[in-house]
Amino acid sequence: MAIAVKLDDVLHDRRMTLTELADRIGITLANLSILKTGKARAIRFTTLDAICQALSCQPGDILRFERE
Amino acid sequence: MAEQASSSAALPIARAVLRILIVLNWLIGAGILALLFVLPNERWIMSAFKLSPSPDAHRLVMGMRVIAVLGLASIPLNYLVLKRLLAIVETVRAGDPFVAANAYRLEAIAWALLALQLLSLVIGAIAKNVSTPAHPLHLDAGFSISGWLAVLLTFVLARVFAQGALMREDLEATV
Repeated sequence: MAIAVKLDDVLHDRRMTLTELADRIGITLANLSILKTGKARAIRFTTLDAICQALSCQPGDILRFERE
Repeated sequence: MAEQASSSAALPIARAVLRILIVLNWLIGAGILALLFVLPNERWIMSAFKLSPSPDAHRLVMGMRVIAVLGLASIPLNYLVLKRLLAIVETVRAGDPFVAANAYRLEAIAWALLALQLLSLVIGAIAKNVSTPAHPLHLDAGFSISGWLAVLLTFVLARVFAQGALMREDLEATV
């Protein structure tokens, strides 16, 4: 897919693990892993909102369009 | 609550009825097969139906033979419908009916129902053709609006299930 998920980079910058993020935003680790590995087909605005709040970032910091 | 209770009872009933129908279908098939072995004996049929030897009576017996063969052809089609319907009921029981497999099953059922309606048309036409006032042949076959509506409905339902399965897949991969 042309949309790349950069959650790993942002987590690394914030010194936060995926498990910690999952605990903070109340989403299962399995679902966050699906998002992180780029296997998700869609992301809810509520999920994006929760991630951006927890990581103090913009949606564009997590998602990027990369021409294939 | 009452609705939930009735729907939970509906599934075991449907399952049991479908299993009984599968057995009945095979029994009917065996009956038709046995009849086909008897049907070549024209003299026996003539005496069983109290028919006097005549060209009309001969045509009637010939017609009955063809109808029996066509009836036998409907047995595997019935089995296909019942077996797939049972598989669909099982997925509903498991709580996961919106899967691509059910869309394919419904499409197969729709094609089988279409074939059964065509068979019914042919059987009805043969019965009408060989039936005479002296030797009437009454069969519950021929054109049926409800039958053709069932074919249409099943094709539409197959598309609905295909769409539902795609939506379900999307939902499962939504974070």
